[in-house]
Amino acid sequence: MSGIAIDAPGTSQLFIGNEAIARGALEAGVGFAAAYPGTPSSEIIGSLAQVAKEAGIYVEWSVNEIVALEAAAGASFAGIRALAAMKQNGVNVASDFLANLVMSGTGRGGLLLIHCDDPSAISSSNEQDTRPIAKWLDIPLVEPGDFQEAKDMTKWLFDLSEELGTICLLRSVTRIAHARGNVKLGELPKVKPKAYFDQTHDLKNVMPTKYIPVPSPVRHFFQHMKLNRAREKFEIAPFNRYVGPQNPELLLITCGSCWLYSLDAVKALKLEDRVGILKLGTIWPLPEKFLEQYVTKAPKILFVEEIDPFLEQSVMELIAGLTSLDHYPVFYGKRSGHLNAYGELNPDMVIKAISNILGLTYQPRPVEYSSQAESFRKSHVPERSMTFCPGCPHRATFWAIKNALKLDGRNGFVTGDIGCYSMAIGPAGFFQVRTMHCMGAGAGIANGLGRLGQFGFDQPVLAVVGDSTFYHATIPALVNGIYNQSNFILVILDNSATAMTGFQPHPGTGITAMGEPTKVVSMEALCRSLGARVEVCDPFDLKATTATLLDMMTEGGGAKVIIMRRECELVRSKKQDAPYKVYVDQDKCIGEDCGCDRLCTRVFLCPGLVWDKKAGKSRIDEVICAGCGVCADICPRGAIVKEAR
Amino acid sequence: MTANVKTWKELFSEVIEAGLCTLCGACSGFCPYLTYYKGRIVAVENCARNGDAQCYGYCPRTYTDLDALSQTVFASRYDEAPIGFAKDVVIARSTDIAVRARSQYGGVVTTVLTFALERGLIDSIIMAKTLPDKTLRPFLAWSAEDVVQCAGSNYMACPVLEGYNQIAKNSGNGNKLAIVATPCQVLAITKMKHKPPQNRSNINDIKLVIGLFCTWALSPDRFHRFLRENLDLAEIVKFDIPPPPSNRFDVYTKSGVVSFPLEQIRQFTMPACAYCFDMTSEFADISVGAAEGIEGWNTVIIRTDSGNELWQLILAEGKVEVNELPLQNLGHLKEAALLKKRRAISELRKKSGNVNNLLYMGLPPGLADKLIA
Repeated sequence: MSGIAIDAPGTSQLFIGNEAIARGALEAGVGFAAAYPGTPSSEIIGSLAQVAKEAGIYVEWSVNEIVALEAAAGASFAGIRALAAMKQNGVNVASDFLANLVMSGTGRGGLLLIHCDDPSAISSSNEQDTRPIAKWLDIPLVEPGDFQEAKDMTKWLFDLSEELGTICLLRSVTRIAHARGNVKLGELPKVKPKAYFDQTHDLKNVMPTKYIPVPSPVRHFFQHMKLNRAREKFEIAPFNRYVGPQNPELLLITCGSCWLYSLDAVKALKLEDRVGILKLGTIWPLPEKFLEQYVTKAPKILFVEEIDPFLEQSVMELIAGLTSLDHYPVFYGKRSGHLNAYGELNPDMVIKAISNILGLTYQPRPVEYSSQAESFRKSHVPERSMTFCPGCPHRATFWAIKNALKLDGRNGFVTGDIGCYSMAIGPAGFFQVRTMHCMGAGAGIANGLGRLGQFGFDQPVLAVVGDSTFYHATIPALVNGIYNQSNFILVILDNSATAMTGFQPHPGTGITAMGEPTKVVSMEALCRSLGARVEVCDPFDLKATTATLLDMMTEGGGAKVIIMRRECELVRSKKQDAPYKVYVDQDKCIGEDCGCDRLCTRVFLCPGLVWDKKAGKSRIDEVICAGCGVCADICPRGAIVKEAR
Repeated sequence: MTANVKTWKELFSEVIEAGLCTLCGACSGFCPYLTYYKGRIVAVENCARNGDAQCYGYCPRTYTDLDALSQTVFASRYDEAPIGFAKDVVIARSTDIAVRARSQYGGVVTTVLTFALERGLIDSIIMAKTLPDKTLRPFLAWSAEDVVQCAGSNYMACPVLEGYNQIAKNSGNGNKLAIVATPCQVLAITKMKHKPPQNRSNINDIKLVIGLFCTWALSPDRFHRFLRENLDLAEIVKFDIPPPPSNRFDVYTKSGVVSFPLEQIRQFTMPACAYCFDMTSEFADISVGAAEGIEGWNTVIIRTDSGNELWQLILAEGKVEVNELPLQNLGHLKEAALLKKRRAISELRKKSGNVNNLLYMGLPPGLADKLIA
């Protein structure tokens, strides 16, 4: 249980960054919070949902990010402080509304969009820096450099949003969102706001209150004025600071998690009296006067930031316009190649960049030690591949898909998107998924492929989506496929949870973020109402699933839907015992012989199956086996036995 | 790994993709990688084994030393006899009118099997069964009723040997088996008898091989599609090709006979059948076919000692009625069988591009020329 609602001002709590943000929102008196789950942002709403009733706020898992942001804006329009949280991809989904919202302005309640980037795309389909959207759409943007700031900034930003009448952005990254640190708590508000959509005349505008983006040129001009006012606030904001000598040899300009990396690097190199660090918390618009004080004092500047050279380019732009400079400093960063414009950074990378610029050699530990540590790691840590959990329905689904496509014989293939099932790009799903982009993309791509018959295309196309993804981003693609008679099969992998991000409920589960029972939005009823042929299969019934897939592929015609329904094993196993006791009859197992060649441990690859090299037989790892019994159905010798428990 | 090691990949390149596969089923239904589906052998997954590939070894269209097989089965050399090694050739028909009524010709296959079952000489029979959708599947018949259900031909290829391959998993060893098979299937079984397979049920469990006469088989995919498009599958009762010069293919339906010109049906024959040298299932215990021009009778070739023993018992019990095959008919049978051999030799030579290379058909030296002369 999250402790974000503890009413103990002045005490410290250990929070992950996302909890710190949620606490900041509570302290700011947030009334409405909405999001679609996405790593690394999910715990913001996750933790708020847990305390929603106690805190008297409303929290929801929205169907997708644009709806989350629109819903939050609705609350703002009615005077309730609101936030929407999302990962980088969510910003893309929400961006059309965001661009309009910038022109219309927000309501009496402050409105924040909290976007968490995933440098190195550890849990994402893509790597993307969302900071540039602030510059692109003229929105104030801040980024916390530690956990305390994550809380304080959130609270502070609500005030700013309300004062300016614009949405404000708070960007975070994985290492802030998911790392844990001490946060000193502030007061929680005691007054509950009243929601009311006020349609009376707004004295300032001499117009009834209307949230509309037109006339756009005028609104656009207003937004620039708001940005100017934001800049003035940013100049004196407590989130920008400088540490280091008066006239540093080298100035690091940094933000976010790189602030801590920079501190570590300078300390490790013992350069505190030679190198200064300028830490920015307000990222856009830049606090120009504040920056000017420091950039003019250093002959060399290194930009330390993750993914894009956003500060690097923006500060260089700023310096280009400074009349007070006699000569420009030398700039180092991504442009110079001292740091990567992709992937996460870490203290070692910053140390290397500084050493390179200042001509230092730094060896944190003896080379021998490093190589010994590396070899020790290799010999003691077992190799583990990305795979589905034991008992995962997706493994069975992709087994059926693989066999059906082979039997069909027309070189059919699978388009996909991001979810647990993306692992089917590799051995876990028998390499079946051939395209993988944003949520719902597989279905959209299938729409195009399925209309290429006139060009001689006759390969069956299966588009896989998760159940949560179906509601999030797939319905328009399915409608399109039915309307335009595109020949593809939408395969909905319905494991009854948003499994990849932590089992959040969705419209098909009958439960809300706050744990309340609600209506189930039936995907099969919805698809049937669109006029699609809809089949519901249990993927553990490999034979029937394969036969249904083959039948649907043979049938041709417009878009069809097959729902693979089986609860996520991680959810099921919390409620029930394993359905089967599974073991390998050692006399029947023929191992690598002709007639099997280790199908179970070479191809099927459930982690619950292990290859006993000495015996030349397969075995069940009883600790790992989930007892689903699917392997008993794939064993060609009948050597894997499942006994009902 | 030497160049001579043959895996499933060579089975595909030399047989399946080369258009030689007869869909006998010797390679499918045994390992998890090769599956028969709608007239094709499909590799659903890669087998990583190098060598000892039984799928390659038992395929009747990979190199087959016919002389070695003949020595195994008959203790006799493989020679130019067009209908193979025969102890006796007769015409026969069941003495049971009910059986005859349900059978394609004289009901001899049904009678032999029923007798062997009744006497406990066999426990079950691997044979092709026509399903209600008029596709054929291998079937394990355990009773006379089961056998009767399988009577009649629909002329399509069926991977009957899959039925044998699956026994090890489904019903285990020790079950005395008979098999009703086409010449290519009999050849595969004979290869297994010559070098017993691993991890399948004991090949010596097969106590009786009844070989069918076969000139060609229809593609289970293309011909079935033709049927679907032209007839109501549920209405079809049986198929027949009346003796020459009818040149008809008759489909008996519940509402009468629908005839197609034989030429129209011939386009659905399996191209692989053009490379087949065996019309009469030369390595069977007993071979059975139509008796051309003698309606309601079968031609029966008694080949092996065990086949002959069984046949004598059946005769003694009066289960069949036997007559001599008129010399003229025997001549026609041999001529037709020889024509098939000649065609195969000439097609195989064409395919290999070398008169000395008959691909799978391993004949003793000089025999090909002798047959074709």
